[in-house]
Amino acid sequence: MSRHEVIIEVSISLLIAFATGALVLAILGFNPGEVYSVLFKYGYSNLNYLLSKSAPYIMAGLAFSIPAIAGVFNIGGESQLYVGAFLGLLTAYYTGNPILALIVGALAGGALALFIALLRVYRGINEVITAIMVNWIFYYLLAYLIAGKFYNPQYSHESVPVPPSARVPSLAIFVIAVAVALAYYYLLYFTDLGYKLRVSGISPASARYAGFEPAKSVLTSMLLAGIAAGLGGALLVLGITYSIDDTLTAIYGIGFMGIGIGLLGRNHPIGIIFSSIFMSGLVIGGQWVELKTGAPPELADTLIGVIVIALAVPYAYSMLVRKIRREAK
Amino acid sequence: MIGDILNILSNTLFSMVPLTLAAVGEIITEKAGVVNIGLEGIFMLSAFTSTVVTFYTGNPYLGLLLGLLVGALAGVLHGVISVYLKGDQIIAGVGFNSFAYGISLLSLVALWHGHGSSPRVNKIVTLSFGDFSFSPLAVVAILVGILAWWWLEKTPSGLKLRACGEDPKAAEAMGVNVYRTRFYATVIGGALTGLGGAYLVVGWIGQFTKFISAGRGFIALANVAFSNWNPLMAIVGGLIFGFFDALSIYIPIKIQGMTGRVITAESNLFRTIPYVATLVIVAIIMKKVKTPRALGKPYIKE
Repeated sequence: MSRHEVIIEVSISLLIAFATGALVLAILGFNPGEVYSVLFKYGYSNLNYLLSKSAPYIMAGLAFSIPAIAGVFNIGGESQLYVGAFLGLLTAYYTGNPILALIVGALAGGALALFIALLRVYRGINEVITAIMVNWIFYYLLAYLIAGKFYNPQYSHESVPVPPSARVPSLAIFVIAVAVALAYYYLLYFTDLGYKLRVSGISPASARYAGFEPAKSVLTSMLLAGIAAGLGGALLVLGITYSIDDTLTAIYGIGFMGIGIGLLGRNHPIGIIFSSIFMSGLVIGGQWVELKTGAPPELADTLIGVIVIALAVPYAYSMLVRKIRREAK
Repeated sequence: MIGDILNILSNTLFSMVPLTLAAVGEIITEKAGVVNIGLEGIFMLSAFTSTVVTFYTGNPYLGLLLGLLVGALAGVLHGVISVYLKGDQIIAGVGFNSFAYGISLLSLVALWHGHGSSPRVNKIVTLSFGDFSFSPLAVVAILVGILAWWWLEKTPSGLKLRACGEDPKAAEAMGVNVYRTRFYATVIGGALTGLGGAYLVVGWIGQFTKFISAGRGFIALANVAFSNWNPLMAIVGGLIFGFFDALSIYIPIKIQGMTGRVITAESNLFRTIPYVATLVIVAIIMKKVKTPRALGKPYIKE
């Protein structure tokens, strides 16, 4: 697909999303023009906050896209983020060492993703079903552990905090996330391993013919994805929230958002950096919208949903592009 | 003791309805070759619609009907994207889940200014015999399962539908309109799921909450695989998955009643039961299932 077609696809899907969003807002009695102007005015004004908030999104986007390139649908970024955030938090709390906390978070996410991949490879279980079950299991498990075991006696409904010594400056988490995205970009497009992942995704049969097992690509891609998601969770806790509340409000949904981010970034690590910053602004702007106009922040979910649906039909766009070309001639 | 058993049995029959209806609907859709993983989103959207309709009209049966209609419309959307626009069915389904979640909560806040749940609404009738009670929709769900099995396996039109999911080219050669069959199968699947979603509110819980569906759409998908695409087995699967759902609600209440201690944090732990059970069941049986061969692949006429 040419670069022009990609730009057309992404622009059309954004256009459809914002038009649908405007329609929904108008039906619900809000002024779409006012809501959107607040969204864009405040969403992208605080650069420091915008970039640091996009760090976990970059990781969630990678967690979806790396397996997608290898032909696996990782919808489990959600729980991989949970365990990364939680074990990162505990490590930081007990050791005060941020680097160790990030490593533990990343490994925890990787282990969980590998579990789903193993079930797919050795038991033939659809990864979508397993991942959703694992997401809910860990949601409630963490809710239990935070409310029942690792709560902060000073603030109810909150976990133990990240000690000041283990906190990571908010801009540093963005730098780390971008560095990981660049490393994944290099891995995918300039190494033997990346080549194998991409071939397995496009055609498992050719991969087998070329002498490497596509099953191995499934496992590797999921491990890389889980590491990204786990690290994303740890970055979120160490760099932004410093604790987790007992309904997981701060983390809930980021993994799912990663699907939209990955697709909008056309499953390309560099594209994902930009789509994450874009989404980060939408989410921040959404909070301002609630403050200024009373429209609920779930507007962001609605927009992302429409963007994803619109991005699911590349066939329709290529037909459209071809038709326009023919008429131009 | 007898009371406990009847209690769990009743709760199982309440839980099985959406899991069975959605699974049977999805079996019809998938047998025709289309996969719709947006069941969760349909549950959310139809549950919300039926709440709104019932709240303003006071008629839960109208709510049920509108919920079914919203499900059918979601099926139309997914059908157009999957069949005619040849979109990626998994991605479209995931997008729909996110869209339905967002728009339901957006409307919830806009209408009732509460972030967690709607006001309570009227419910349809519940049949009770002493400690044992169930919704008439449990009977409907079982009948729908039997009817779907008979249609798919015993009638010529059912055979044509299955041909679209196994070998669309051969089906086309047989004179079957693959596009139209797949499209209608997706609409029927959506409608049945919509009925299940509306039931969540007007047949069971009585109000819309943020977590009303809580992964049930995906448990229904697991039920499809568990049933090996057989609607009769989907009824059995609905009862098994429904049983674990019932257990997760029943155990904490029972413990509280026996010890007199209010459990809050631990109740989260019991909520994992249906998901763990689903994971284990699917892991045990999945090796032996046979998916429709052309499932999820867009059909492009030559």
